[in-house]
Amino acid sequence: MTELVLMTRREALAGLGVGLAIGLFPLIGAASESSGQTGSGPQAASGPEEQPSSGLNPNVMVHVARNGQTTIVCHRSEMGQGVRSTIPLLIADELGADPARIRVRQADGDAKYGDQNTDGSSSIRKFYEDLRRTGAATRMMLIAAAAQRWHVKPESCSAKNHEVVHLPSKRALPFSELVDAAAKLPVPKKESIVLRPESELVHVNDPNLPLLDGLAIVTGSAVFGADVKLPNLLIAVIARPPAVGSKWLRYDTRRALAVPGVKRVVEMPAPKLPWHFQPWGGIAVVADNTWAALRGRAELDVTWDPGPNASYGSASFRDELLASVRASGKVLRDVGDVEAAFAKATKVVEAEYHVPHLAHLQMEPLVACARFENNRCEVWAPTQNPQDARKEVARVLDMSEDQVTVHVTLLGGGFGRKSKADFVSEAAFLAKACGVPIRVQWTREDDVRHDYYNAVNAQRLRAAFDEQGRFTAWHHRTAFTPIGSTFAVEVDTPTLNDLQQGVLDLALAAPNVRAEACRAPVHARIGWYRSVYNIFHAFAVGSFIDELAYARGADPRDTWLEVIGPPKLHSLADLGISKLPNYGETLERHPVDAGRLRHVIERVTQAARWSDRKGRALGLAAHRSFVSYTAVVISVVPDRARRLRIDEAWITMDAGTVVNRDRVHSQLEGSLAMGISNALYGGVTMTHGVTDQTNYHDARVARIGDFPRHIHTDIVPSTAPPSGVGEPGVPPVAPAIANAIFALTGQRIREIPLARALGTYRLPTHPILNQSTLDGGMR
Amino acid sequence: MKLHVNGIERSLDVDPDMPLLWAIRDVLGLTGTKYGCGEALCGACTVHVDGHAVRACVTPMRRAEGRTVTTIEGLSPDGSHALQQAWLALRVPQCGYCQAGQIMTAAALLAKNPQPSNDAIDAAMAGNICRCGTYSRIRAAIRKAAGLPPDEGSGQ
Amino acid sequence: MVLRPVAPGELRSPADFQSIVDRGARSRALFAEAGGVLQHPRCVNCHPNGDVPHQGMQHTLHDPPVVRGPENDGVPGNECTTCHQNHNQQLTRVPGAPKWHLAPIEMAWAGKSLGYLCRQLQDPLRNGGRTLAQIVDHSTNDELVAWGWSPGHEREAVPGTQKQFGALIAAWVETGAQCPAEDKE
Repeated sequence: MTELVLMTRREALAGLGVGLAIGLFPLIGAASESSGQTGSGPQAASGPEEQPSSGLNPNVMVHVARNGQTTIVCHRSEMGQGVRSTIPLLIADELGADPARIRVRQADGDAKYGDQNTDGSSSIRKFYEDLRRTGAATRMMLIAAAAQRWHVKPESCSAKNHEVVHLPSKRALPFSELVDAAAKLPVPKKESIVLRPESELVHVNDPNLPLLDGLAIVTGSAVFGADVKLPNLLIAVIARPPAVGSKWLRYDTRRALAVPGVKRVVEMPAPKLPWHFQPWGGIAVVADNTWAALRGRAELDVTWDPGPNASYGSASFRDELLASVRASGKVLRDVGDVEAAFAKATKVVEAEYHVPHLAHLQMEPLVACARFENNRCEVWAPTQNPQDARKEVARVLDMSEDQVTVHVTLLGGGFGRKSKADFVSEAAFLAKACGVPIRVQWTREDDVRHDYYNAVNAQRLRAAFDEQGRFTAWHHRTAFTPIGSTFAVEVDTPTLNDLQQGVLDLALAAPNVRAEACRAPVHARIGWYRSVYNIFHAFAVGSFIDELAYARGADPRDTWLEVIGPPKLHSLADLGISKLPNYGETLERHPVDAGRLRHVIERVTQAARWSDRKGRALGLAAHRSFVSYTAVVISVVPDRARRLRIDEAWITMDAGTVVNRDRVHSQLEGSLAMGISNALYGGVTMTHGVTDQTNYHDARVARIGDFPRHIHTDIVPSTAPPSGVGEPGVPPVAPAIANAIFALTGQRIREIPLARALGTYRLPTHPILNQSTLDGGMR
Repeated sequence: MKLHVNGIERSLDVDPDMPLLWAIRDVLGLTGTKYGCGEALCGACTVHVDGHAVRACVTPMRRAEGRTVTTIEGLSPDGSHALQQAWLALRVPQCGYCQAGQIMTAAALLAKNPQPSNDAIDAAMAGNICRCGTYSRIRAAIRKAAGLPPDEGSGQ
Repeated sequence: MVLRPVAPGELRSPADFQSIVDRGARSRALFAEAGGVLQHPRCVNCHPNGDVPHQGMQHTLHDPPVVRGPENDGVPGNECTTCHQNHNQQLTRVPGAPKWHLAPIEMAWAGKSLGYLCRQLQDPLRNGGRTLAQIVDHSTNDELVAWGWSPGHEREAVPGTQKQFGALIAAWVETGAQCPAEDKE
């Protein structure tokens, strides 16, 4: 497939190029890519690679063929957040295309698409205007071509339903008739691109917008990582070192090779510190079907050496973390004089919190396919970061990136695990070693034990009140091994960049504030897990503010509003910090806005009838993350056997301008579920450096019975710039649950999983029992 | 070993202890049925054997021999099953990986209990995990497919 | 009277009780020995006193969450045989035996004393209408009962063998099926 001119989207938009000659770009799709639904919406592009066609191709995102068929690229990975249903339609609406004539093509990993790292709740917030500009630029070229033909001014024309209309005369020309002429015109420079009023983005803002891949999913034709089919494909299952850094001492191939279907046994390279995205190594069993590979692996009889992390145990590390926050650390936030304020305080409240490692536990275990032929490597993977995957494959195979192609399948959940390319480069390595296409299939046990866990954490919070009961000081210490440790061994203390997640960007009314980062050396492989450090910072802060309320006999909502302070945009000086990465946003565009945090609290408590909560046990928490503001109220009820159940939940999010509202609501629903899982059951532990948990029976997640029967999801109407949606719903859920449990039982639980600490009350280990029979008197 | 899969008689030369899941996926190439846990904990692999929901990841081929197996691909020729239509109308899926198993379990439920209460729905669906958290929509879609009125007390 | 010491996992045989002269006392002692099987988690877990099976040596509630259902074999969509096969699965760990299902609620054993079990076992209203001879046959030959001795995958088996258990039950019946004197029902 040839490309005559390659101009990056950014270059086109920045107007750095003079213009764009007709660009032919290869319409490459993932193998066996699913077809979308029939009817009036866009379709997913399917079928084998097509011949390059001429047409209008002003940038890498949009191609209008001569017959009007419009292909729009989705360059971000689909893991349930709805990007494939949203991004192409956003562009299409800005362009004025008819959704029924859109095909969506999933982008391969290629720098020409700009940032493809689908991470950090950023697909819309970072690219909203840029995406619209790709559609707008295309529209402007089509309109310019029509205006020329009609000898009218472009301003008198508009594009809608796949045609350009001259408004005064009502003359119309379909896009297909304008493509050739438009392709000869210069691509508009960024400064000259005019966006439509948002009210004209009708399809992407349709509350009943269907899912692009809906029909494929419900009929089983949707293609996830393990569904990719290649001729002569063999399946590999890898016997993996139990602890990071451990190696095999001995293994036996004889019985493994005797299993019918097993073809080979291959040693995987051992990683070197720092771990980065290197696979952990181990022994691969390669077979012509998955069952044979699984059986073969079971026959390997591997003896492992314990490795350098054999002394790591979660119980002792918890003590280490608590000791760390009982001593001072690196001061990263400082306003006023906390020592003096605490010294003369009339009342001091203090508490410590602990949140264990958390695992991703996405439904699709890691998997990737690779083919190595003619000195090129082609990979198919459910990756959140296809460009990084491409880099990693090139590194492992010692090739240049342009010899590597990474196709992106649908992801059966990601939550941050699939940003790491370890599972992709393994497949490439084996494909080259074996000379045939290889699928590496992780078992659930592999996935649970070889995760990049959310960091385990301890925190200490103290607050001071003067004799008038005024909130005068706040002192926060947090200890965790940051993600940086995965990339550099000496990293053992969180940095300012890490503390921006819920410690430094927390609006506080107290005139004396200090936050410190405390040391936590690395023993496990740490990574990003949906909302990351916000999970534990929100748990501690959200629980602590509730504790402040009860310590003073005050209403928690009032205390939240008092602690946050009046509506105000907090400057760096107000916060007492030297800088704030602010999730890659400027403070001008996305300030630390106490007013917006107050507003979601007021809104959610109103919805929950907070003022009228006598007889109900409600818990409230709120949090700013990914520059959005979220507040949650949880209701907990007991049954006759003193088991607790979450019966109702309210979640309100201010995410600025939103599109595809139904997907925002679904993210709020999903955030509730994930927050409930984290709070009730969350936590993986390690003994001698090996993860104790292996599957869904001991690494538990919420099931249908754990999920409240009544939920209320609420999006704050806003014209503010778009902010994050995928992650910010999660952090306030766990503290709201802990607070509701306190409201019901008087028991304050400061550790996750909450289930473990409940005394006379306990969570049902059997969620569907609810009000029904007791469990046979065994306890 | 002979068995009927989605209405077609198939003849497979496989280990009788091979779980049905891998025969379906690797040998027959029907990839709609998913691997999630391999130990009957998550339900992603749910298919029907003679109309009963079974977890293919732990069901050996010898059990399926001579029987009628239905996978998600065979639930309807074109997505027209009431559950599939309800799933689309309510936009149930997020990532979609668990949904084939959810639908197959729900289909087995509705075939025997066409007007289930919410407690009966939860009891039938309790074994199917959705990590994305689509549970409330799953329950609502089952009600819709069953012709039951929507629940009060939830909303956007 | 002191019985022959036995290793963990070993069951005494009827011969070990011959030295108990009093027929009633011997009967009760035989039943107490059989109690090592009856009250073992492998058996009790599927004789719950509620609608949910138990799992494991601590009688944890079954996970994934399942319920008894109207015919003691689960509910549509989530039946016992949705996951449990007619034999144990090794690599995938799921226990199995023919006709896997729960004992009916009237045969609940969980939380019951040995005396209660003894009386329940003989009561036709609570034992599926069985005669004592049929109880002996069930204990000695039933395939699902047999599972207790081969539970698979690292699960602790009940003591002895099914044959020995059957012999104990037979000897208990033969000595008058006497029950331990306990006041708890």
